[in-house]
Amino acid sequence: MVAPLYTTASGLLFHAGKILVCTVGLPARGKTHISRALERYLRWTGVKTTVISLGDYRRKVLGGAHQLPPDYFTLEKSPETIQLRERVLQGCEQQIWDFFNAGGQVVIYDANNGTRERRNAVAEKFDKEGIHVIMLESLCDNEELILSNIRSVKISSPDASSYRGWDPEKAVADYYNRIKDHERHYQPVEETTWPFIRIMNVGEKIMVNHIHGYLQSRIVFFLMNIHNRPRTIYFARSGQSLIEHSYKADSDLSPAGWEYAERLKEFVLERRAKSLEQRGINPAERRLVIWTSARRRSHHTAWPFLTHGANDPSPPSKVKVIERPQMSEINPGVWDGLSPEQVRKYYPDEWERFVNDPYAYRAPRAESYHDLCVRLEPTLIELEREKEDLLIIGHASVIRCILAYLIGLPASEIPAIEVARGDLIEVVPTSYGVYSQAHHFWDGPGRAANGKDEHNFYENYAEDTRGKRRPEAKPEGTPEPAQIAA
Amino acid sequence: MSAADTPQNNSPPLTSRELAAVDGVLKDVKAIKSSPDITVTAASDSETPPAAFGAGGPMLKQFDQSNASSRVISQASTPPRSVVGIGGKVAKPDYSEAKIVLAMVGLPARGKSYLSNKLMRYLKWLEYDVKVFNVGQLRRSRARQKAKQSGKREDHRAPYFSHDNVEATRLRDQLANDSLEMLIQWLREGGNVGIHDATNSTRARRQKIVERVSKEKGMSVIFLESVCDDPVILAANIALKVSSGDPDYKDMSREEAKADFERRIREYEAVYETITEPHLSYLRIKNVGSQVTLCHIHGYLQSRIAFYLMNLHLKPRSIFFSRHGESQFNVEGKIGGDSPLSERGMRYARALPALITDNIGDAPLTVWTSTLQRTIQTAQYLPYPKLTWKSLDELDAGVCDGMTYEEIEQAYPEDFANRDEDKFNYRYRGGESYRDVVVRLEPVIMELERQENILIIGHQAILRCLYAYFHDLPQADLPYIKIPLHTVIKLTPKAYGCDEERYTLPIGAVDTHRPKPKAPPPPVAPAKTGREYYTKDA
Repeated sequence: MVAPLYTTASGLLFHAGKILVCTVGLPARGKTHISRALERYLRWTGVKTTVISLGDYRRKVLGGAHQLPPDYFTLEKSPETIQLRERVLQGCEQQIWDFFNAGGQVVIYDANNGTRERRNAVAEKFDKEGIHVIMLESLCDNEELILSNIRSVKISSPDASSYRGWDPEKAVADYYNRIKDHERHYQPVEETTWPFIRIMNVGEKIMVNHIHGYLQSRIVFFLMNIHNRPRTIYFARSGQSLIEHSYKADSDLSPAGWEYAERLKEFVLERRAKSLEQRGINPAERRLVIWTSARRRSHHTAWPFLTHGANDPSPPSKVKVIERPQMSEINPGVWDGLSPEQVRKYYPDEWERFVNDPYAYRAPRAESYHDLCVRLEPTLIELEREKEDLLIIGHASVIRCILAYLIGLPASEIPAIEVARGDLIEVVPTSYGVYSQAHHFWDGPGRAANGKDEHNFYENYAEDTRGKRRPEAKPEGTPEPAQIAA
Repeated sequence: MSAADTPQNNSPPLTSRELAAVDGVLKDVKAIKSSPDITVTAASDSETPPAAFGAGGPMLKQFDQSNASSRVISQASTPPRSVVGIGGKVAKPDYSEAKIVLAMVGLPARGKSYLSNKLMRYLKWLEYDVKVFNVGQLRRSRARQKAKQSGKREDHRAPYFSHDNVEATRLRDQLANDSLEMLIQWLREGGNVGIHDATNSTRARRQKIVERVSKEKGMSVIFLESVCDDPVILAANIALKVSSGDPDYKDMSREEAKADFERRIREYEAVYETITEPHLSYLRIKNVGSQVTLCHIHGYLQSRIAFYLMNLHLKPRSIFFSRHGESQFNVEGKIGGDSPLSERGMRYARALPALITDNIGDAPLTVWTSTLQRTIQTAQYLPYPKLTWKSLDELDAGVCDGMTYEEIEQAYPEDFANRDEDKFNYRYRGGESYRDVVVRLEPVIMELERQENILIIGHQAILRCLYAYFHDLPQADLPYIKIPLHTVIKLTPKAYGCDEERYTLPIGAVDTHRPKPKAPPPPVAPAKTGREYYTKDA
């Protein structure tokens, strides 16, 4: 649902101006989770966005909690500590200014901002300079949710290095006491001075006040759809088709493609059963949702999931297949069916521009990767809101765009993400990022030995140009980035 | 306009480089045929077009005949049908799981019917089955029946709506219940979203609805509360109600009617309880969009509805549609392609700015075009900010792109007839159906709802889909809507529909409308700017 790529004269995307999103909320209310998710989403849509975290900044300049004066988090503070805190705040705000001045569009200021006075001070400062300020409050009255958040994020993450070596239960209790202190001074956002979004228990209730403007309402819609129920997203390419290199032919699976489809079914069900059992869930109880495009090879690859073979003793699994016309592969336009040599020969100028920027360049009547991302955006919201395990049987270009979003890769790297046929990519979203892993399950026609796919060059162009890849660029929050490229 | 100011790009655009490209591709296609990896290698005549799989050449047919072996290996008992030829019909997506009771909450004159109507139009356009069950309408039609039988007219002035009037309150409760029962019955028979348009102003009433709906398997209920404390909006709503021919007030003077209606509102206000129940799934909208509260809104359709309502506004504005000027392909009768404008098309492009500026004066306007050059050329002289949308590109005719209808008919006569049978659902092979276009345009509609004055320079199929949304036309009629060339259509959204004006410029153009063979004339948008249920009432 994102409007197409406009870079306005000021270098910003969309006519939306600059936006400062101030998070408001007690510790362990999921502010960081929400901030990171929002950052990932906005970046993927092409908006220059960053999260500036007060906590991270403090840790960077002052070191871990043990290096802080003892009254840093308590209510009564010595004048020196107050001064110190003020210095940290100033430094952090300077970072926000620096990002805006360098052409950034959205800053998510991840801090408690727990008092009205504090919020007003920040908002007024930025509002004066023509920056739209939005308060994003995360409330939580569900003790269980808070505890689980403390356990999964605050105690075990690098965020809480001060708890290294602690007994987990004691650490939780200590942290809990620390935030109890904050609660007494906390003032929820009730003033309507600034536009606000209040989120209760990660999306249970959302209240929106005076949110106008394109990006702003996109932000709300996105927040409405995120959840934190654990689930796994699987990606696999469709099987080999009879005419690999033509978009228009929309050809059916080749015999090897049908074989691949059968093998994919076995492998996915097996992997999923294993991972569900680890989480103590009976795989027969949870539904698997499969998305395919409306292209024949993709939809038919899901076919075995809907049928029950004669020599298959297991009960049919709970599967729902949904066909999504928005998930067709990238459209090669007039280059459909041509080989790279032909294109180079007959469209030399266009080829030159395409090679220079395979993400943004749109071949005649074709789609660029950016167009594809815009087209996929509604699908992405669907992906966020889907609560069941999901298998996406897609085309390489589509999988690339969605993976880039989930992992948080910059747009320019999207065309170079390798997605080999015969690999099942498993992605598990977590609070701070995603775990992803690729499993190789099939070899055969259609899986090229060198990973090259010369029959479909427009779709797989940049993947072939080794020079474009930047393997050293480790995506944030991805524990196993190497596995994806494997 | 003299020929002198016609730019040179009206002539056919093929440069020598492009000619060389076509020639080279022709040769290369022949060379590829020796490649062992490609099944389709048999075609060996020199007529093979550069678009290797276009329906114009023999390759597609040959390929279809040769791929019968594709699924021999499959274990599937009934393998999915392989599509051959130039396309086929596509089934409607399965919406049978969506069963939602959307109960309105709010005092009279808070725009409940406006919101229900708007929502219905949007969801219907996305092919959900939606129906509004209006309790007021039911009350009036029942009263009319009674009057016919007994000759006595029930008094539906303000005291009837007083909570102290025990008998009338019982009757009104009964009406609300009956209307809900009708709604549930309709959902059971296959509806997707039933909108219960009533005041539902008390907690007890809402609790009853929740309890009733929870007895039905697979149905869920969400409440949509419309709150309004802006006196300007309120006064406008009251004036609209009184003046729009509400049958309740047909025998009264304006002033009497207004006084009675205001009294009715006060009767409701006396017992009104805003939604505070923590367990309910609800949406609260204050002053049409200025503040929105969402609570327990889960599920796909529910959040779609919420997002849509968040984007609405009431500011007066107009939406202009125009097709691109006549293009080279239009003249040649070809579909698709990315051809430049014809000489007449260029004349239209030059005449367009005066027409638009005369119409809106100095009000701000934004022009949206597709990425195809014929729309960009048409917009080139307009003195307004312009944005290009990939989503506004013409319906992709896949393998038939660049052919004339006659050529398609000759090459694939049966398929061609097939498309006429159900044009909305027909997807060109390697291309799109009208339904696919609707899905692709949904973000455009959302953006259109948010914007103010917009001029869209678009294509025939695209404008048909957008037009159908604004006029609530059924899907079956959509592909036959008349959107002639060199005509500007101005839509002005009103409370319950759109006013339409058409301006045709006296510049000749070919007619690209293909009527459905042996069928009634194309649909004309009904004038529906009044509240629909009043007209039905009469």
